[in-house]
Amino acid sequence: MKIENHILDILQLYEYAMAIGKSSDYKESCDLFLKLLLKRKNLNASWILEKNENHLQSSYSIPLGDEVKKEQNASIATLLEDVKVSKLLTADDVLASIATIEIESGVVAIFNLDAQGYLFLYTKKDNISLKDITQLQPVINKFSTSLKACKAFSAQEKLLKSLEIQNQELSDYAHMVSHDLKSPLRSIDTLTAWLKDDYSDKLDASGNKNLGLIRNSVEKMDTLINGILAYSTIGKNRFEVYDVDLNNLVKDVLSLIRIPDHIYIITQDLPVIKGDKYRLQQLFQNLITNAIAYNDKDKGLVEIDVKDQNEFWQFSVKDNGIGIEETYFEKIFKTFQKLENNKASTGIGLSIVKKIVDLYGGTIWLTSELGKGTTFYFTLKKQSNGTA
Amino acid sequence: MLITSTNITEIVSVISDHVNQNAALITVGEHTEIDIDNLIEELNTAGLRFMGGLFPKVIHGNSILDKGIVINTLNNLESMFLIKNISTKDYEIPEVHFKQNQDYSLFTYVDGLTSNISHYLSELYEHYGMQTNYFGGGAGSLSLEQQPCVFCNDGIFQDAAVFAVMSMSSRIGVRHGWSKVEGPFIVTKAEGNIIKEINWRNPFEVYKEVVEAHSGKTFTDDNFFDIAKGYPFGIVKDNAECIVRDPLMVNENNELVCVGELEDNTLVDILNGNEASLIAAAEEATKESVAQAIMPRKAIIIDCISRILFLEENFDKELTAITSTIQNHFPEVSIGGALTLGEISSYGEGFLEFYNKTVVVGLFE
Repeated sequence: MKIENHILDILQLYEYAMAIGKSSDYKESCDLFLKLLLKRKNLNASWILEKNENHLQSSYSIPLGDEVKKEQNASIATLLEDVKVSKLLTADDVLASIATIEIESGVVAIFNLDAQGYLFLYTKKDNISLKDITQLQPVINKFSTSLKACKAFSAQEKLLKSLEIQNQELSDYAHMVSHDLKSPLRSIDTLTAWLKDDYSDKLDASGNKNLGLIRNSVEKMDTLINGILAYSTIGKNRFEVYDVDLNNLVKDVLSLIRIPDHIYIITQDLPVIKGDKYRLQQLFQNLITNAIAYNDKDKGLVEIDVKDQNEFWQFSVKDNGIGIEETYFEKIFKTFQKLENNKASTGIGLSIVKKIVDLYGGTIWLTSELGKGTTFYFTLKKQSNGTA
Repeated sequence: MLITSTNITEIVSVISDHVNQNAALITVGEHTEIDIDNLIEELNTAGLRFMGGLFPKVIHGNSILDKGIVINTLNNLESMFLIKNISTKDYEIPEVHFKQNQDYSLFTYVDGLTSNISHYLSELYEHYGMQTNYFGGGAGSLSLEQQPCVFCNDGIFQDAAVFAVMSMSSRIGVRHGWSKVEGPFIVTKAEGNIIKEINWRNPFEVYKEVVEAHSGKTFTDDNFFDIAKGYPFGIVKDNAECIVRDPLMVNENNELVCVGELEDNTLVDILNGNEASLIAAAEEATKESVAQAIMPRKAIIIDCISRILFLEENFDKELTAITSTIQNHFPEVSIGGALTLGEISSYGEGFLEFYNKTVVVGLFE
């Protein structure tokens, strides 16, 4: 009979322990464990008080009862300080003052949950003993750890939610601003075109030159707005992944951009990778365009290469152009950061490149020597699932 | 009071006279030949406040009836509510203002064949806690086909519960009389009212081994309930009578379908009882409530329908044990009730439970 009782005790602890950690939500976690404890041990109530400096605040209660939110007085402080691990007490006025429900008589078991506060179990009759609280102690310790995890999870969720909202707001803002800017820009472009058509013979050389400059600026601004739009939509939605032959993709890119006669492009055999064609095209096009645009040599060279790095493909786009100062190595990937001597750049192309590489779970970096050239390296995960 | 008439006008008139401006608790035997929608309409026309349920059988005094309407007055009614969508948990428990130093009793009828009844009871306790006593039962048909079975002024509903809060004292006794044959076992996997695994094994295999060895009978394709009605499960509690779960059938996966829910990792015993133990338990439950009562006005008996299926003709003895115990102490008390699909109360004043195969006796002051 005695052995049978021991087995029963152990199995009951097993039942309690298995009710812990089933949820990452604080209230649900408390419900699952504490309601079970109340049912199995015929207890009347349970609540948790958390300590915040000198204040006590209830964070859970079954039954719901009234919220406890009060400053600790000397008698409460003495009572709680005395609960090093756990304690069994007869209900009294001090305990009643920190209970979520009305208690006049009965017994209260208090467990110190450390940073998670104090757990109270209340029974109107004597349904809990010293042996019970000793047996429950390891399970309560596990419960305390689970509460800590719930709080960490909740904080992480809040942070993610807030980041998600901020991202969405930024993206919406960029979208809205871009669209609003495009409309007057189109009007300026049309009006200057009309001016040029109708009045070019009436304007002197300086007037015609200024009209040309206006149109150049409009074109530049249009490119910039398109860049912002492209940047704000990368990663906004989950994208489809499928096999993309990079040899064909790079060939398409090279047919789209203007390559001056003095620039030679050398492309190694590139792999077929899992990805999204539109974003990969944006990635290669930006890097190749930069390599061509910032080349001051009589015979410009652009080399596109790849290395198999097990889980990743490591690509490189190397040029023999003007080179980049080391102080810009990080900055150039940030939106609207560009080289000081580069007036033609919008400062958004490499931000788009970095965002796409990030989306694929890869990294991007560069090596460069002024006057000799630059090599951009980036990696792409072989098994991209479109969520990076 | 018992109404045997099937004339709606007459029924409404009798109820109205009986409850006299108070609310009515209407307990209807499922074979009563009345149009319940019509009854509800006429009760509303008469301006009566009421709640009730349809049950396999009703109890009046020392009689058990398939047909008939048992009426109880809900004195000192504070509030009455209908809760829909019990199975989907998509409801709110309304707020009730409880005065200090006042005793309250909450009486509830719930669709006994819906799921998540435990959640409903847990929500009641979470909101009202120790401020009231709880008492009630599961309504529905003995055919075990779910159908509208709880009603109030708003109509008749399935997957719903009705409850009334009264400022009145009640004394409740709960017992079942089943005792352990073997255990504890761990219900390693459960889903709602289905036991999917016991001790990491197929539940029917484990159950069969124990029950066949104890009963000397063999399970065949068509005798599961005949044997199982004498071998329920008991959810193990600390220093208290276990909570009974009634296995109804074996499904196509050899899993055990019970009345009432179980959760993963619940500790259970396999139980057995006999005529004497069940009747003694019924008497004990009655004594428990009688011992606490001072001047009760009425007694309501909530007794599980499966006890009559187990005791058969001897169930009269159980009912007599209950009624005679009450009448010996309080001869003037009216006795009514129902044979239910699950019984509701708390053990002492603790957390609310949904029982099977149990007797709950309530004396209302």
